[in-house]
Amino acid sequence: MPGERSSDGLDGFGRYAGPATLILASLADGAKHGYALTKDIESFAGVRLAPGTLYEALARLQGQGLIEPVESHDRRRPYRLTAVGARALRAHLDAQRRVADLGLRRLASGWGLT
Amino acid sequence: MSAPALAADQADRLLRWYPKAWRSRYGEEFAELLIADICERPRSRTRTLDVARGGIVARFAAAGLCGCTLEAGDQVRVSLVAFGCCAAVFLGFGAAMWSQLTIGWQWSAPDTAATTVAMVLMSAAMLAFLALALAAAAPVLWSVVRLRAAGLAGPAVLVVACAVIMFVGGRHFGNGWPGTGGHPWARQGLVPGGVAAFSWASTLSVSAYWAHPAALARFSTGELAWMALSPLALAGLAGGAAALVRRTELSPRVLDFETRLGYAACGVMAVFLAGCCAWIVDGGAGPRNLFHAGAIDVGGAVVMTTAFAAARQAARVARSGAGRQGAGRQGAGRQGRLGAG
Repeated sequence: MPGERSSDGLDGFGRYAGPATLILASLADGAKHGYALTKDIESFAGVRLAPGTLYEALARLQGQGLIEPVESHDRRRPYRLTAVGARALRAHLDAQRRVADLGLRRLASGWGLT
Repeated sequence: MSAPALAADQADRLLRWYPKAWRSRYGEEFAELLIADICERPRSRTRTLDVARGGIVARFAAAGLCGCTLEAGDQVRVSLVAFGCCAAVFLGFGAAMWSQLTIGWQWSAPDTAATTVAMVLMSAAMLAFLALALAAAAPVLWSVVRLRAAGLAGPAVLVVACAVIMFVGGRHFGNGWPGTGGHPWARQGLVPGGVAAFSWASTLSVSAYWAHPAALARFSTGELAWMALSPLALAGLAGGAAALVRRTELSPRVLDFETRLGYAACGVMAVFLAGCCAWIVDGGAGPRNLFHAGAIDVGGAVVMTTAFAAARQAARVARSGAGRQGAGRQGAGRQGRLGAG
């Protein structure tokens, strides 16, 4: 089953893994609504997620139980990370860091780029 | 009109790309985001395209053809319903094609190996379909009878009524056709003549006669009425069954079982399509033009291929939902153990 193969909970996202990682990383320091997420992601990643892409990823993340909506009287509903989502983000970023570390080491030894 | 009002108006128009259920869940907050985005970037073709694409994906997700936006159980249920509808379309066209060939064989055996192999494959696939359909219906019917939940009576009555119409009509018009039931050599074919005749009569509406009004006019009023009524009855049967699956609280085990049957049915569909293609590509009309493949058969094969692709996708999404359900149950157990540790 796909769920059993998953190492970090984001394996099943395919081409949505990018937006999903950005959203989870943005929510790691607290709940945010759609517009705040867009702005935060733009500030730390230099990427502006279009509204359709953002909500497609939010719906998937919520369906996977990685984020959850926060009660709000405002029309702009904030979302926050769940415990499962935090673990999934941690595992995903660890895997990315291993790849980044390896790539940097090889670039340093093979190309002298440090 | 002021800029915010114009933005709200534009956001409202963009929201229409999304299905109603999605709008009732995310509509307000999404509209707020769109308004903010429109105020910041009044003209953006990228945004329009992105929202349109997102809306189409949301519609596919609501139809169970792409996943991960619904609760795992809902996703399996919706995808199984989508699968059932695709399978019904596949079967409708497939049975029409198959019965045409089986009736031909009542009169004379095909004279090419390709058509013979195609017939054997298609007949075996039809038999497998029947077995899988019975296996799939049994746990659903058992759950319906056991739970007797509110809102099930209507769909159950619809299913029974449409099944009775199809059975009675199929028998009546099958027996009335001189080429099958009444034929003295009715048992010389690959399948019993009565079965071929019933299948032929049930799918009489899938016919090239619609494109030939002069030939159609020679049909009796009763047959014409049946050609109009039978697709409605088939649609009612599929729709009623879909409503039963949607409204019945099927257990995760039953949903998993149905998902596995869906995968098996995809294999059977592939076998049937292979047989169908072998017959069409063979191109031989056979003795007395009994096995001629016409434009409607090519069109039917295209429809069946599309239905097969959609069914396979629905089965894949259902399986991913079943996997999430299983992973959720395992995760809950693991969390409990970690908490204790």
